[in-house]
Amino acid sequence: MLEIENLHVEVGGKLLLKEVSLEIGEGEIHVLFGPNGSGKTSLAMAIIGHPKYKVIEGKIRFKGVDITEKPTYERVRLGIGMVFQNPPKIYGVRLKDLLNRLAGGRELGDGVLKLIDNLNITEDLLNRYVNAGFSGGEVKRCEIAQALAMNPDLLILDEPDSGVDLENLELVGRELGKHLEGKSALIITHHGYILRYLKPVKAHVMLRGTIICSGNPDKIFERIMKDGYRWCEKCSLMRRS
Amino acid sequence: MQLDEEKLREALEKPASLGLDLDLQEFRLAAGQKLEYREDFDQASFEVGVDLRRRKELTTFLQVDHQALYKAVQKQFKDDIELMTLEEALGKYRWLEEYVWKLRSPYEDKYSAFNALYGRGGYFLRILEGRRIHLPIQTCFLAYSPEIIQNVHNVIMVEPRAEAYIITGCTAHKKAPKGLHIGVTEIYVKRSARLNYTMIHRWGPSFHVRPRTGILLEDDAELVYNYIILGAVASFQSQPAARLLGENATLSMNNIVYLDGSSDMDLGGEALIKGRNGRVELITNAVVADNARLINRGRIVCEGDDGRGHISCRGLMLSDGAEISAIPCLVSKRMSSELTHEAAIGRVSEDQLFYLMSRGISREEAESLIVRGFLDTASMRLPEHLDRGVKRVIDLAMKGF
Repeated sequence: MLEIENLHVEVGGKLLLKEVSLEIGEGEIHVLFGPNGSGKTSLAMAIIGHPKYKVIEGKIRFKGVDITEKPTYERVRLGIGMVFQNPPKIYGVRLKDLLNRLAGGRELGDGVLKLIDNLNITEDLLNRYVNAGFSGGEVKRCEIAQALAMNPDLLILDEPDSGVDLENLELVGRELGKHLEGKSALIITHHGYILRYLKPVKAHVMLRGTIICSGNPDKIFERIMKDGYRWCEKCSLMRRS
Repeated sequence: MQLDEEKLREALEKPASLGLDLDLQEFRLAAGQKLEYREDFDQASFEVGVDLRRRKELTTFLQVDHQALYKAVQKQFKDDIELMTLEEALGKYRWLEEYVWKLRSPYEDKYSAFNALYGRGGYFLRILEGRRIHLPIQTCFLAYSPEIIQNVHNVIMVEPRAEAYIITGCTAHKKAPKGLHIGVTEIYVKRSARLNYTMIHRWGPSFHVRPRTGILLEDDAELVYNYIILGAVASFQSQPAARLLGENATLSMNNIVYLDGSSDMDLGGEALIKGRNGRVELITNAVVADNARLINRGRIVCEGDDGRGHISCRGLMLSDGAEISAIPCLVSKRMSSELTHEAAIGRVSEDQLFYLMSRGISREEAESLIVRGFLDTASMRLPEHLDRGVKRVIDLAMKGF
């Protein structure tokens, strides 16, 4: 589904990602761990094609198509969905109208209505401008509603569990769990709370812009919980020497 | 009110304190020409939110040049609404003189003086005490003769506990590409009355506009004053002035501006809070393109206890040739008052564009969504059917977006 090969990415002349290679198969959920500032969000931005994130080397392929140079909306139309950690406010555009558009310009279909209901998105929220004055939980629920309304084949979730209280986490986790069945996803998480609801087949650890380790998600997560990312540093050094 | 003709003639030489100064000799009064109703007035009015095809169903006033071509109160409201030309009304009610030229001075500048000396258009609209009119009242001013100075003087009186929605469209017929519209409007919202007044303007690149609006709010009165201008205008200068004399009076002034071409616009709004617990918000959302220039002024003076006021200006620049200035001014004379302002001017944000593109929307569509978002009518508190009409007018004007 997604193949990333030897990716190098810079922003404003600064190298943020180097030698990143990653492959996510059809129906596979992967998780990407890493401390703050390690480059997780940069990888997500490079996959979705944020214009500031310049690929200086390497390739990104999606469904066999080289998307490295494609504009964002084309990548999305091919089937990549994105849940942002800190989405901007879009004044003047109501959530309802944006969801309508994502559902193909028709009135909200049954599927989307159900999704809205399950994610506890109220009429009031639907009538507000996208992300304007939303609480942390509301932002996440609305991000997920938008992404799922598009029914992507690969969903990238950037910290779906940050800034969310337990109640919202459960709501979001359950809904994602349902929708991701049989789909591919890359979950970026710092503390892993969302993994109570989603079962990845593979985990990766990112440090200083590169993936230093990949393997069994439970084992890696357990180790990070126990020893923190310092252990990953040591481990990578040991493996290198 | 007896006007001093000599003083008015002196004032004819007096430029307005703001905006481009015009030589009135370049225009004509074009009075005396007798006009008939024409089908193409329908389309011109429709483009500024007035549906003349529904003139038999809705209370409607149509003035073309200086002539009131159509005026009628909807049958079901004939005991609730009075609508006539101001001239007729002054003949009918002596007391009305106490309300004319009370909220604006006829000696203010050459435009007001010209209107006071030669004015013959405009209406008197009165919503009688306690009547709640939920169907819109539509009024339309159309400039038809080339190079005309169109004079308008309206007096609106919403009597105690009455409620109404007024939609006013002002435009120039394609036969009158050049001209000047001087519109004096005095709005009285009396005790516990509520008025939603929505004005839509579309002029053209050679038309000049000088509205002079005065507003008075009594105890518990509420006015939502909406102003929409779409497209180009040669020059425009206006500073509607409101006085909140009563307690708990509320004024919400909303401007939606889309300006293009070489338009020169100085759009202000000022409110004086006199009574206790007055509430004022002055909100402008403006999109400015090409070489158009907008100055947006807001001024709130609070002399009443517990007054609240807020000024907001959001501007979107669509070209390097455009110019937007936001000039808010807050004056507090009471410890208990709370006055705030905010202004933000910029281009379409790359972050917003990228976000919408990440939802599968192309760059062009995303830009258009954001621009159209700036012209959202949410703060205008229009009832649904009126909101639909206003949105349709904006859609029509913004076809390229």
